[in-house]
Amino acid sequence: MEQLLESLVRGLGTGSVYALLALAFVIIYKATTVISFAQPAFMLTGAVITSYVTPAIGVLAITGLSFFVSVTIAAILTAGVALVVERLAIRPMVGKAVFTVAIITIGIDIAVRVVVNGFIGLGARPIGFPWGLDRVELLGLDVQIRHLVMMGTVAVVVAALFWFFQRTRWGLAMRAAAFDQEAAMTQGVSVGGVFALSWGMAGALAAIAGSLLATGAGVDRQLWLVALVALPAIILGGLDSLEGAVVGGLAVGVVESLVGTYQRDFAPWLGDNFAVVSPYVLMLVVLLAKPYGIFGTAEVRRV
Amino acid sequence: MELRNKRRAGAVGLAVLALVATGCRGGDSGGEAGGVDAPGVTSEPCPEAVNEDNGCIYLGTISDLTQGPFAPLGVPITEAQEAFWARVNEEGGIGGYDIDVTEYVRDNLYNPETHAQVYNEIEPDVLALAQTLGSPTTLAILSQMENNDVVGAPASWTSLWGFEDNILESGASYCVEGMNVVDYFVENEGIASVMAVGYPGDFGGDAAAGAEIAAGERNIDFTNVETAPGQEAQAGAISQIVRENPDLVLLSVGPTETAVIVGQAAAQGYTGQFVGTAPTWNPALLQSPAAPALEQLFVHSGPWGSFSSDTDGHAAMREAIGEVDQPNDGYTSGWAWSYPLKAALEEWLEGDYDKTRAGLVEAIGNLETVDFEGMLPEEAGDRTGENDIFKQTVLSDVDPEAAAGLTIREDFFTGPTAEAYEFEGACFEG
Repeated sequence: MEQLLESLVRGLGTGSVYALLALAFVIIYKATTVISFAQPAFMLTGAVITSYVTPAIGVLAITGLSFFVSVTIAAILTAGVALVVERLAIRPMVGKAVFTVAIITIGIDIAVRVVVNGFIGLGARPIGFPWGLDRVELLGLDVQIRHLVMMGTVAVVVAALFWFFQRTRWGLAMRAAAFDQEAAMTQGVSVGGVFALSWGMAGALAAIAGSLLATGAGVDRQLWLVALVALPAIILGGLDSLEGAVVGGLAVGVVESLVGTYQRDFAPWLGDNFAVVSPYVLMLVVLLAKPYGIFGTAEVRRV
Repeated sequence: MELRNKRRAGAVGLAVLALVATGCRGGDSGGEAGGVDAPGVTSEPCPEAVNEDNGCIYLGTISDLTQGPFAPLGVPITEAQEAFWARVNEEGGIGGYDIDVTEYVRDNLYNPETHAQVYNEIEPDVLALAQTLGSPTTLAILSQMENNDVVGAPASWTSLWGFEDNILESGASYCVEGMNVVDYFVENEGIASVMAVGYPGDFGGDAAAGAEIAAGERNIDFTNVETAPGQEAQAGAISQIVRENPDLVLLSVGPTETAVIVGQAAAQGYTGQFVGTAPTWNPALLQSPAAPALEQLFVHSGPWGSFSSDTDGHAAMREAIGEVDQPNDGYTSGWAWSYPLKAALEEWLEGDYDKTRAGLVEAIGNLETVDFEGMLPEEAGDRTGENDIFKQTVLSDVDPEAAAGLTIREDFFTGPTAEAYEFEGACFEG
């Protein structure tokens, strides 16, 4: 039982990071109807910035403060990079086929990652996470502090996001633009501004996710691959649902962790690496029952 | 009729142009360069030649330079090889030729298809490959290399290379490492169980095969666990290590995965021994959260001593590459891998061989020793025997004070399993 619960906590920890990444994908999708494949690059960018900023502000001696300040700075700077990319490469493509824009985001992803790789150097960069792999006992369970930090961070971010969308003018504008762009424009909503804001927010979320992920072993050039796990999370949660992104991310994290822990005992014929495949299996199972994901909006076509 | 004549004249003109263009290709000297009739050899000096009177031999490099998983090794390997051949040129070159390894450098992204594509691009213009990084990638071009009589220094240690005449391997394979590691820890630590944890394929598979052979010889328990690349993909392997609690875990993964597995298994209470094969280590791991666990539980096995080892070759390497931001055994490996090709070029150009690529292949088959300047024993370069597999391994401890974080624990040794084992083919055949 203890092992099961500990595996569950690990899954919720990494699932929280997947949730942040999934939120980033969904925010852009809702605003622009494009899946941005540039998110892995922004995730890497944020983690690399954190790895440079944390030691630079190491004078802040309070445990964890320098890390969290660094993550905040990384989120802001990465949002800036995302805004620039959106203005230069995406905005001119408004009105073009969604497929074309999605392909452009793949190019952006590769280009940004090649540049960022140059700042990583020849090995993994330490992220300056104050607790390393330390563990604490919580309700009788042996739990890594970093997983608790991941869960706490995503709780704060999700709360802030929901407040933003429900209570602010820009949040309302984004919801209006996501619902009907032309109608929103007639009401004075700047759709261009909504596009830019969605990219900026997604960049910031990806930066936070990357920084948290790197607390395990630092930032290396392959860290970006983790962002791909967010894709089954958003599909099973619902491509246009913020709630779905959170639930999908957590579900993927938990399933991955439980399969990693138990599959070799209960289903060894599935091979050694089935945990890696499990998010996609989960996605398929959910889609069979709910073709638009758990929280996705069903598309209605009149013929 | 006039039109037909014009067409004929045009065709002849094009043919002449084609012949001229072919003759002008850097790769086809046509005997112009001192009787050498091999692609990639010219009587013209190299670009930015050290010795203006020398001809030029172009060597290709296909490495993982930007996006692939082994770029942190591929970049320093390539830099070290540039430094190695620059030193050769500064010492006068070989047989009247300078060596150029900078003109034909290509990125394989650690992708076999890309590797084959860039090989086809540069093959007509190079004599040989100073580097072909990766086992699956090199396998993708091996038959073409054989057809073209192109030889290459690998940047990998799979046991298959011992059976390929066109691959100029250096040092012991992952399979031999696996055997020697098990033998060493049975004899010195009395281990009774070993678990191999590695990537699927000929990196993890080759090391696991060697460990399994030695475990069988020593009559100890053996388990093999395959794990995928990625920080968050290690939960299964960690859980298996903690639950089965083997005395020894042989890792064949990347450095980041090493940090995750060692750090988190230790955090979950595992106190046994980890040994990582050559590519598992990067000194940056000493800055990772896993550093305390690595210092306590991890030993590195490799084909030669680490960056700061005390040999003439290591010293020459350190001097040639100069100050680097981060000492890294990619440099060490790139330097060590270059010696056999240097010896082969000397043998070919100075000996009684056809001055063609085929002649170079023949010259390689006659190499009895290679002067590695102490980085490896000279017999590691023996390619004359029926079974010329080199079987010696170096073990190193984690040492934060050492330049690349490793100091030698056990210098070149061969365990009884590898000593007695008759290699008749690759240990791993995927």
